[in-house]
Amino acid sequence: MSTPDAIPPVTIELTVNGRKYCREVEPRLLLVEFLREELGLTGTHIGCDTSYCGACTVQLNGAPIKSCTLFAVQADGGEVLTVEGLEQDGELHPLQKSFSEHHGLQCGYCTPGMLMSAHALLAGNPGADRKAIKKAIAGNVCRCTGYQNILKAIEAVANDAGEGK
Amino acid sequence: MEMKFSGQFEVSPPPAEVFALLSDPQKFAPLLPTFSSLEMKDANTALVKVSVGIGKIRGTASTQLTLQKKTEPTHATYLGTGKVMGGAYTMISSYDLEPKGSGTLVKWRGEVQLVGKILSLAGGGMQGYAEQQINAVITSLQQAMSPEGRRGAPAPADEAGWLQRLLRLLGLAPAADQPGGTPPADAAAATAKLTAGWTGTARAERGARALSPLKSAGRSKDFSAIVDRQASDKWVHAALSRKEDGRLIRGQGLFVDDYRVDGMLYMNLVRSPYAHARIVRIDTARAEALPGVVCTLTGPEIAAVCSPFMQIGPGTAQNIRDFPLAVEKAIYQGEPVVAVIAENARIAADAAQLVEVEYEALPVATDWKSALEDKAVLHPGMGTNHHWHGVYDFGDVDKAFAEAAHVVKIDQMDFHRTASTPLETHAVVATWQPTGGVDFFCNNSFPAIAIQMIAPALGLGIDQIRCKTQDIGGSFGIKIGNYPYMALAALASKKCGGRPVKWVETRNEHMLAGGHGGERTFLDTEVALDKDGTITAIRARHIDDCGAYPRYEPLGCVIWSQVLPACYKLRNIRIDFNQVVTNKGPASPNRGYSRLQHLWFMERVIDICAHALNIPGDAMRLANYVREFPYTTPNGCVYDSGDYPLMLEKAKALIGWDEWKKKQAEARAEGRWFGIGIGTTLDSGTNNFGQSRIVNPYLPFSGNSEVATIKLDLDGTVVVTLGSTPSGQGHETTTAQVVADELGIRPDMVEVRTGFDTAANSHGGHSGSYASQFAVTGLSAVHGACQKLKREMKTLAAFALEANEDDLEFTIGQQGPELRVKGTERGINYWALSAMVNINTAGQPAHFTDITLNIRHVYRPPFKIPDVDKKMGNLTLTYASQLHIAVVEVDRLTCVPKILAYAAIDDCGKVINPKIVAGQVHGAVAHGIGAALMEAHIYDRDGNLLTSTFTDYAPITAMSMPDLLYDDIETPSPFSYNGAKGMGEGGGAPLHTISAAIQDALAGEDVVIRKSINSPNDLYEALKRADRASAVKVESRIG
Repeated sequence: MSTPDAIPPVTIELTVNGRKYCREVEPRLLLVEFLREELGLTGTHIGCDTSYCGACTVQLNGAPIKSCTLFAVQADGGEVLTVEGLEQDGELHPLQKSFSEHHGLQCGYCTPGMLMSAHALLAGNPGADRKAIKKAIAGNVCRCTGYQNILKAIEAVANDAGEGK
Repeated sequence: MEMKFSGQFEVSPPPAEVFALLSDPQKFAPLLPTFSSLEMKDANTALVKVSVGIGKIRGTASTQLTLQKKTEPTHATYLGTGKVMGGAYTMISSYDLEPKGSGTLVKWRGEVQLVGKILSLAGGGMQGYAEQQINAVITSLQQAMSPEGRRGAPAPADEAGWLQRLLRLLGLAPAADQPGGTPPADAAAATAKLTAGWTGTARAERGARALSPLKSAGRSKDFSAIVDRQASDKWVHAALSRKEDGRLIRGQGLFVDDYRVDGMLYMNLVRSPYAHARIVRIDTARAEALPGVVCTLTGPEIAAVCSPFMQIGPGTAQNIRDFPLAVEKAIYQGEPVVAVIAENARIAADAAQLVEVEYEALPVATDWKSALEDKAVLHPGMGTNHHWHGVYDFGDVDKAFAEAAHVVKIDQMDFHRTASTPLETHAVVATWQPTGGVDFFCNNSFPAIAIQMIAPALGLGIDQIRCKTQDIGGSFGIKIGNYPYMALAALASKKCGGRPVKWVETRNEHMLAGGHGGERTFLDTEVALDKDGTITAIRARHIDDCGAYPRYEPLGCVIWSQVLPACYKLRNIRIDFNQVVTNKGPASPNRGYSRLQHLWFMERVIDICAHALNIPGDAMRLANYVREFPYTTPNGCVYDSGDYPLMLEKAKALIGWDEWKKKQAEARAEGRWFGIGIGTTLDSGTNNFGQSRIVNPYLPFSGNSEVATIKLDLDGTVVVTLGSTPSGQGHETTTAQVVADELGIRPDMVEVRTGFDTAANSHGGHSGSYASQFAVTGLSAVHGACQKLKREMKTLAAFALEANEDDLEFTIGQQGPELRVKGTERGINYWALSAMVNINTAGQPAHFTDITLNIRHVYRPPFKIPDVDKKMGNLTLTYASQLHIAVVEVDRLTCVPKILAYAAIDDCGKVINPKIVAGQVHGAVAHGIGAALMEAHIYDRDGNLLTSTFTDYAPITAMSMPDLLYDDIETPSPFSYNGAKGMGEGGGAPLHTISAAIQDALAGEDVVIRKSINSPNDLYEALKRADRASAVKVESRIG
């Protein structure tokens, strides 16, 4: 009988939120499971099992990815940014502030994934317009807000960037 | 009382230099450790402000410091005076300087006098502490005169300086924070608080590795900043951002799956692939042999040790045997059959694959028609699939039809199976206790009912269940239904020797078995109208399909009647109401529960009649709206307030009705399918549980209740606990707003515990979050608790301040929240009040023994038990209303409907927090649009769910959500203390509105919209239906 225990673990090294980690993992361990279970970074959530909902969105080497659809071993050597890495030196990221200010979250379950998608968008397109924002979060489901205030929250940060603030 | 201290020390500077420092108040005052600012009144007198703190609130206290006597270069005496808490203190400190070598010997004396009752009460045991604090001043002086100290400015203020500590001892300054210097939130401390009283931790590590200063207030830092920005005198009605957000935007919420404890095991479920099948054989041997598997559980094992869950239905419905696992047969696809418990989630999932179950497929009933045939009977004990039947008959229906000018007949309409599918799935951690009983950390949204279901099933007393919720990732009613899994996890933990067992549902499992919104068919509808299009009577037969297990049903068989005539004034209604069980996933309450199906039906009736009689949809509504409030419906419900015509007017203005009408005319001229639809709907809130007796007269429930506790904690912090289970509705914030107004303080001075906890003693039998009620039930409980607390605080304060209670006011003083004698500086802060009950209790009058400063208030709305035979009574307290308008174009080639404009007007009475209300409206609109256009649980005829993943079900995303126009009106409810109405469910308005708009778009094609879902496929079929012209018949008896 073949069991997963028979498959030897793999050693991976990766940087998460600026800190290096070296861990032995099962090859089939998903990145989201690695972040949540191995590193205790439970801000990244799981909402579906078909990559539809985006609650698990993190950034790998700057690109937004669905961490439920990537094995941890595929992130070996990479740099991962999760919601826990957005606040710097006690200062919230403008997107985090804006989500609160514009009531862009209710239950808060989709919020980390939304933030990571929005963060990736604005990194490449700081003054993104509404259409670009909608597209960027097309893979992030929110069941509470009807998206209205999420769009407003991201737009407010993009507009600030557009005005050179 | 008086305290005296003295001592001496040496410093290196000569007496002249020391004297220069000591004799100048401007130089001396900054040496006080919590020095904040100084204002010289004259050469010898300084008004010194020092920092003090109460809880998270920092303020300043003033001391007048006078250089009373100076003899150069040998002597200085300072007199310090200040007023505190209705009393006063005097401090005298004097310094005599003598040369000692090249330096100076400083001999000092200090005296502190306290005047006032409370200060005297607080005085016991103070001497040693005060001495310690005076020593701190002396140390500070020594340091200032040391070579290092003299080089620079005075040392920065100490964290908890002597004066602050002294004041604290006097009951003035429990916290040790500095003004404006609150440190970054300490994640570990915040987590510890979140999980306080609960074993285990949320997570191993997160955030920066740093030992930041251990101060209070980290948790509310963001909220304090929000409150600062808002700067308001009154907080109810303020558009305040939320207290909850601080943790959620950081990813620091505590959802069930985030929760971990040592020794925790994981449960995975083997589910039936068949919709109806006898379980012939179960073999768990291979699964149990897998390393890491602890045990398995099967239905027969469970049935041997526990009782089936309580059934709500009457008669033979009581014979339904609903266990956490299927026992002899599975009756829907996805029903749990075997549980596997293992050391981690992956091993459990592997092992589940190794369980062998042999099934024998049975005939299925997958719709109401086949269910009523009773060829495949799901529950042998019930003997039929016809779960409930009752006739709701009001007014004189037959007479109204005999006198009608027009009768419109609609053969069949269908409300489809859909659900709000919260993003966080069902989850629980259950721990069987060695003493018997079980602890749950779960996300059930109606835990008061869940524990009443679970306790008898597991043979436990209700007190043996500890049930706690924290952050919940959306519920929308669906999470009311997850109690069978809680019981299953409890049994699993029991079998595993009490190790905690976590179960987290997968999305696929959720789609199959997590709870579906109810499906309903409306047959043989007949509508009587007078010649002007006023509806006088409706009769129809309704059949609700609740899936395989009723669970919360048949409550839906009465709950719809809260809105029997919808927003319309007809008085004659006869509905023959039925409910069937089918081989599909069990239904669960879902946003708009049972009312939205009926409201959709009524709105279709309005629109179909309007089209049949060629009356515009807006005119049809205006002719039929209820206009006088409070309005008693034919079945005795009382609509509290509303103004539907005004909402229509506002919605038209908001969307630009006249412009769209012009565009519609142009589009139609081009042959385009272009429609404008209106939906008017109700969100009835605060149930009278007495209505449950209409479905089963033997049920013991009636009325409603919600609980809040409020206390002054040991340090005077205001702490509130609730019985609700918020999942995004912002209860922490709105509660803080209400308490702030009641106590005359700021919302960030109020700690509101999140979630439900049986151990907090803040729940009753109806506690939870459901049925649009928190603004009424929850906040009324909070408000009531505040009144009781205020009475106690006044009694204590009046004694302490030697004042009349009527002369006291609740306010914020220099030392934080306090009660003050109006027009004076005499006040007593919350710390001191709490001290009188908790830590400094001697010397008080005997009648104070009843005072606890720890209040539990149960709010009970003034309901009567309905007349069960007539099915009449007031079933809900408040009726929020919504009016939406949509402009929709249906593509002629692809049948894809596109929303071109959408406006929503909401009326939930007095708004507690406009931001939160708007957010709830947005969310309800998204659910409604998603359900109207694409979201459906679609089964094939064998009972296979075809939309069992998000990819198939396709919950609405930002791409298909139109930009909403939103506005509101406020018609205050006369039945709630605050004029608010419960809200949030939204009455399914978009379903009605989009059906109406598409009806309007396809009016020229003889299509009657008779389904609540209007996906391109459905519209294509509607356009091709041979009976589309004959689905509606109009008999006119005039002209």
